[in-house]
Amino acid sequence: MEFAWTADQQAYRAHVRDALDELLPDNWGTHYAPQGYGSADQIAFSREFGPKLAERGLLVRHWPAEWGGESADPWEQFILAEEMKWRGEPRGPQYMNVNWLGPTLMKHGTPEQQQEHLGRIASGNVIWCQGYSEPGAGTDLAALQTRAEPKGNGYVVNGQKIWTSYSPFADFCFLLARTGSGRKDISIFLVPMDTPGIEVKPFPGLVGDGHLNEVFFTDVEVPGSARVGEEGKAWDIITYALSFERVGIPRYHVGRKLLDRAIAQLDREGRGNDPIIKARVGRIVAKFEAARLLTYVVVDQRAKGAPPSVDANVSRITASEACTDLTNFLMEYVPDCLADGDAILREFHRGNIAATIAAGTYELQLNMIARGALDLPRGN
Amino acid sequence: MDMELTGEQQLLVDAVETLGTRWQTMPPGHERDYAFYAADLQAALAEGGFLRAGLDMGMLEAGLVALEVSRLPVVTSIGASALVSAALLGDVFSGPVAIITSDWRKPQRLLPVAAYALVLRDDRALLLDMAGVTVEAVSSIYGYPYGRLAVEPDWSSARDLGEGSGALLQQWARVALACESAGAAQSAVRITVDHVKERFAFGRAIGSYQAVQHRLAQCYQISRGMRFLALHAAWSGDPVGADIAATYAQDHVNKLAFDLHQFSGGMGVTCEYQLHFFSYRLRALQAELGGADGAATAVYDRLWKTAA
Repeated sequence: MEFAWTADQQAYRAHVRDALDELLPDNWGTHYAPQGYGSADQIAFSREFGPKLAERGLLVRHWPAEWGGESADPWEQFILAEEMKWRGEPRGPQYMNVNWLGPTLMKHGTPEQQQEHLGRIASGNVIWCQGYSEPGAGTDLAALQTRAEPKGNGYVVNGQKIWTSYSPFADFCFLLARTGSGRKDISIFLVPMDTPGIEVKPFPGLVGDGHLNEVFFTDVEVPGSARVGEEGKAWDIITYALSFERVGIPRYHVGRKLLDRAIAQLDREGRGNDPIIKARVGRIVAKFEAARLLTYVVVDQRAKGAPPSVDANVSRITASEACTDLTNFLMEYVPDCLADGDAILREFHRGNIAATIAAGTYELQLNMIARGALDLPRGN
Repeated sequence: MDMELTGEQQLLVDAVETLGTRWQTMPPGHERDYAFYAADLQAALAEGGFLRAGLDMGMLEAGLVALEVSRLPVVTSIGASALVSAALLGDVFSGPVAIITSDWRKPQRLLPVAAYALVLRDDRALLLDMAGVTVEAVSSIYGYPYGRLAVEPDWSSARDLGEGSGALLQQWARVALACESAGAAQSAVRITVDHVKERFAFGRAIGSYQAVQHRLAQCYQISRGMRFLALHAAWSGDPVGADIAATYAQDHVNKLAFDLHQFSGGMGVTCEYQLHFFSYRLRALQAELGGADGAATAVYDRLWKTAA
């Protein structure tokens, strides 16, 4: 056990910070960042920003050289993610591409799929959405009803997805569809979003812009070459991808920055010395730091090539709790952020409702810890 | 950054575990005590060089030793010896050390057995030789022996550890309580998980009920968070790390104590079941140095008010 960053890792962090100082426009913090990375503005920004990162070797450095990376240590991927999150995630939805989508295709995609998609992801200007949730299947993902029926050399997809962040702007969908009668007879398809029969309908909600959408698939023809892995055998691939997603966003890292903003406001209002506020904030910091270290446990396992473990669930719930504690604090002490106050704090609040649900609810994570770490018996 | 134990650290932990085998149950005649100070274990730790881990290997290793020893139902002065003495004095005593950070008139943890006391007084740390100091034993149900100074000691006879020593004492006392809490929490969770797997209610193992599973999963999560924060604080030597580790540990004791006793049911209130050795020890540590409020306030002041 060694908690120190190496000199190379420290230098890399400084390099990323310098690059962001240089690349982000002056109005990034005031115009783009408050809108959230599902917004039209930020997505358009990310299509221009991604190639600039790619040009500097800062987009997929952790990928193997074969796919445009430098086989950098997964720790560097997390350093990059922390610094991006600290600035408001200027990669927009492309964080998904580089964190889990690309690695999933590297492991499970066909050579043709890898050839078609990995290069585009590495170039930094492609947007993906994930077709997972449905009106009747969220955390219980295996309950999904969208079907892909064989037809000729391909499939015909019919069904409906919901939530589907970024879908109004996405070029491709990482689509899950049922291909058999068993509960887990599910396959994955890589589907261009301009395929005839796909219709996207955004609808308003409590989370940030661009996140809530319905996506309808009506007789959508998908070639067999778009299927990832064997037919009906996608569950292990999904599990693999989700383990990356659960600890993909370093929310703990942004917690301190948000507290800075909240405390600056409280100081301006003459409330920064309130002993109740101090004790409350100190507790939130402690939970964020616990989340940070528990996330590092997962990163360390990845760096060593270990398979996904229950530590990802432990990390996820700790980060979720810390973010919830911070949200609760904001509501009690900086409530104007929901109205005309700090827009960054408002976006955090909006996003946090989703953070305890996405990638499997908080309760699902607890189920997995009960099985995986404590070996508790299943109920009836 | 490496979150797994190195080979050397694993050997150290294994050695502590092997040494502790004898004390994994209470000694004969003390099975139903509230606490048992294991003088022979303290001596064995000293003799084996474990108390010097911080000086010979590093403070992270001292934290590992403290955490591992705290997984045993018997108590020693492991935190005060291996962490606080090592950090403040650059030396350790083989005999037990008590830490006095509250009013000297109050009951103090480990005082009846202490050979030395590290005392926080007017922002300075004093080293008090307990030889000749009269201590009255205090009856307590906490997981440690408690005692009270019978009369105010002659503080001038104590060794003043100098400018800044008071802050250093508070810092390392918080690291120590965090490490001891992490070890106790780990054992408390383990005991309860074992119990709910074996104990049936309404025809099913208690541990098969989701209402129980979820809260136990949270207890496990807490024990993991305690572990890494405590070890990080020992490694960094950063005062805010100590405050953070203590905040997290002390803040979560209520949850652990309630849930783990709740799931242990009636068994959990008997002395033959070992949970109370750990849960009451956690309670004792929860109250020290201003508790979670005190530590959390220190976090805030270090991160925001010092910069202002």
